Amino acid sequence: MIPRGVRYALSGISWPVYVLLYTPLALVAYYSFSPAPNSTGHSLHAYNILLHDGAVAAALRRSLILAFGSAITSTALGTLLGYGLCRFRNANAKGFLAHLPSLIIYTPIIMPSLVFGISELIFFNFVHNATGLLGAGLVTMVIAHITFQVPYVALTVFARLSGLDPYLFEASYDLYANGVKSFFYLIVPVVQPAIIGGFLLGITLSIDDFTISFFTSGPGSVTLPIYIYGAIARKGISPEINALGTLMIGTIISLALIQFFITRHRERAGQLSARGKIA
Amino acid sequence: MSTMPSEVAIEAGRQRLRLWVTAGPGLVWIMLFLLIPSAILLGIAFFSADDYGNPVLPLSLSPFQQVAGYSLLGWDSGNIAIFLRSLAQAGTATLVSAALSYPLVFFIMSRPESLRPLLLLFIILPSWTNQVVRTYAWLELLGPNAPVSWLAHALHLVPPDLGLAPGSFAVTTGLAYNYLPYMIVPLYASAEKLDWTLVEAGRDLYASGARLFWSTVFPQTLPGLLSGVIFVAIPAFGDYVVPQLLGGDRALMIGSLIANQFTETPDWPYGAALTIIMLVFTGLGLVAFRILTRKLGGAEEATI
Amino acid sequence: MLTSQAQALPAALSAKRGAISLFGITRIFAGSIAAIDHIDLDIHPGEFFTLLGPSGCGKTTLLRMIAGFEAPDDGRILISGREMQDVPAHKRAVNTVFQSYALFPHLNVEQNIGFGLRMRGIKNPERKKRVDAIMELMQIGAFAKRSAAQLSGGQRQRVALARALVNEPEVVLLDEPLSALDAKLRAELQIELLRMQKRLGMTFVFVTHDQHEALVMSDRIGVMSKGKIEQVGPVLDVYEKPKNVFVAEFLGLSNIWPFTPTGAHTAQTPLGELTIAAPLQGPGLAMIRPEKIWIYNDTAVPKDQANLFMGVVREAIYMGASTQYRIELANGQSVLAFDTNNQAAERSWRPDEPVAVELKPDNIMLIEP
Repeated sequence: MIPRGVRYALSGISWPVYVLLYTPLALVAYYSFSPAPNSTGHSLHAYNILLHDGAVAAALRRSLILAFGSAITSTALGTLLGYGLCRFRNANAKGFLAHLPSLIIYTPIIMPSLVFGISELIFFNFVHNATGLLGAGLVTMVIAHITFQVPYVALTVFARLSGLDPYLFEASYDLYANGVKSFFYLIVPVVQPAIIGGFLLGITLSIDDFTISFFTSGPGSVTLPIYIYGAIARKGISPEINALGTLMIGTIISLALIQFFITRHRERAGQLSARGKIA
Repeated sequence: MSTMPSEVAIEAGRQRLRLWVTAGPGLVWIMLFLLIPSAILLGIAFFSADDYGNPVLPLSLSPFQQVAGYSLLGWDSGNIAIFLRSLAQAGTATLVSAALSYPLVFFIMSRPESLRPLLLLFIILPSWTNQVVRTYAWLELLGPNAPVSWLAHALHLVPPDLGLAPGSFAVTTGLAYNYLPYMIVPLYASAEKLDWTLVEAGRDLYASGARLFWSTVFPQTLPGLLSGVIFVAIPAFGDYVVPQLLGGDRALMIGSLIANQFTETPDWPYGAALTIIMLVFTGLGLVAFRILTRKLGGAEEATI
Repeated sequence: MLTSQAQALPAALSAKRGAISLFGITRIFAGSIAAIDHIDLDIHPGEFFTLLGPSGCGKTTLLRMIAGFEAPDDGRILISGREMQDVPAHKRAVNTVFQSYALFPHLNVEQNIGFGLRMRGIKNPERKKRVDAIMELMQIGAFAKRSAAQLSGGQRQRVALARALVNEPEVVLLDEPLSALDAKLRAELQIELLRMQKRLGMTFVFVTHDQHEALVMSDRIGVMSKGKIEQVGPVLDVYEKPKNVFVAEFLGLSNIWPFTPTGAHTAQTPLGELTIAAPLQGPGLAMIRPEKIWIYNDTAVPKDQANLFMGVVREAIYMGASTQYRIELANGQSVLAFDTNNQAAERSWRPDEPVAVELKPDNIMLIEP
């Protein structure tokens, strides 16, 4: 369908782009192996320092708490939200009130991170001044992260649910399962891939974020990206930072590839058994 | 018995209750922790600022005057320059993303089907690393000591001792790098749904080469392209990380300017006014874009 | 406002397990369109009852009300003698086979079938025993571990049926379960469903728009149109003696003419004068089924028979076992007739052949408009 000449041209452009995509990351890795001071040749000196750096360890711990804490909560809220909107919304409702849920769900997605972060900054500032609660810190960061993750989870679950035969709900009712039982024995198992997908998406969004975290963080809640940013602002890019960056990049890439191949293996296995048994 | 509400009404009430119980917590959470804060932010733009930059009464429109460039020292064109620069950089980044995305997408399409998900994954992977990491990587790549800068220096593109970063070029590059995946995904989705029989019909009617592409393939990719443009241009316009790390003082973007009003040099009403204007620009851009695309046809699928 | 509250129930009938009684069932959609208009219906325990009608007549809505997925705006539903007003769907001893089968995608065949038992708290090994028994009965034991996606249409249908039957409900509801299958499979499964019903003895309420299906499988039929039941009765009665034009034309083909009586058993019709066995009391509509019309060669016309007309064949549509003829009479009227294609050569006619048709007085039915 695509003529051969065009195909060569496409390859010619694309492979360099792929290289270009990974060049910056590769460079970070390269610099992380810089020689130790007063010596030559590549070394793991930077990694050594990194592993003994208490501040980095603390930042890592906080990043993980932030990511998992927000993802678990947002998955719960988002799943219920997606389910509720799919199942119980009156399709014929008109007027402003009917479109309100869509508006509410899409706002966090289309709002620029900067506006999001600053809004939270101001809001938590007011609340803190008025009540003494919610001082800028890990809690406020978690709250903000949950807020931007919920719509993604909700939409993922909603999409999966919409694709289902609507009569499945009735079939479950017909077979003696009330609302609550139907939810746990029908909805959750069927939607499980979407729930897990939403959870992983939440974690990814949390790890990827800087801007919102930055504006909702407090003096004691330095997470990894904030640590790196601060270090660069103060001292420029050191080999230690490069080491940290390399580890972060490496972890993400490994996890993504593992998850990809596991999913593909499972899909292939499912297809094979299906093909084998329908004779 | 005749005064009992009908079963239908009772059931409708129960449905509404179920809706509130399930969807309620999520919706209330977002309203409380985003919609209300945003409203507060927008409201602050209409206050005056005290010496510490806090919003105080009386209400006034002076923050907007500041946005337009008026201050105690008279009118300054700085802000306008910043807005225009932001537009230019976001626009360029979008163009570059689009220009790179097309060959990439069709390259993937030309590969066997089993390889495609993997190839797509490799394009998206960098975007799963943290923003700060992948942005400072460019700082190293384009910094004063990097080979690329030596090359640029040799070509007399930059003065000595200054790299390509920090600067406008670095910012644009950083933006394009960060947001390329956002363009690729919708474009790829569009390309997957391509109806190749139209291409054959075009060939049958004596079109070939570039003409064939523009008349039969490109229009079908429009919905994906338009989605991609929206997903790239809007965040790029208001980005914070890239201009901060790669921009320096010479390439101030609207994102940095706004952020400064809440960190370095607090002036909350001014910052809020800047935000409103930025959102207005974004909104106008979206609307203009929708009108443009409707004229080109095939825009309906591009909407969220 | 309940209209039939005081109606005495035939005690013997509705006390039996699986009897369904509907009194004054009404359902109004959006505004004033009555989807179901004051329907009274009795379904006998253990019978195969079919609700037949065109799309939109309300038959599926009625079925869903029996199941409990929708509630009537007015009227009462009794199943096995018990009021269903406050009983939600998941508490009714009724199971449904859906048009799309609605098999749970995350469960395999065995788990799908056992779902209802599981929800009712029946544990293994009792549950496994019953599931195995029904799978044996329906001959689907071989796919016990497969998921729904790996089954063919006919297999899915059997699983859906097994999933309903294993719960030994009082009533089984089937919503056009065969409409998604190809003709041959459909015919096979029709017979199988019928055999299953007779063997297990549960009340089956079957909804379809296909009159052939209804004729093949049912004990009794209820023909519906626009929210009302036009006629209820044993298949034979409804087919041979339709009450009105709608039933006559929906169930099989018919010839219908208006008549004005000229005597106790004679009437004037557009065909000419007809002798009718049924007593006539004023003008009305006369109907005769095409298969009841006798056709003769114009050279072999019987003498002294009533209702003999000469005509010419205009259309002869060959249908394999029989041929459908449209015969135009001398005065311009057309008659639709069927004849089986017997061996005897002189009994099959081609267009433009002259023939004689006989309408036996016993076969002419009087129907309402």
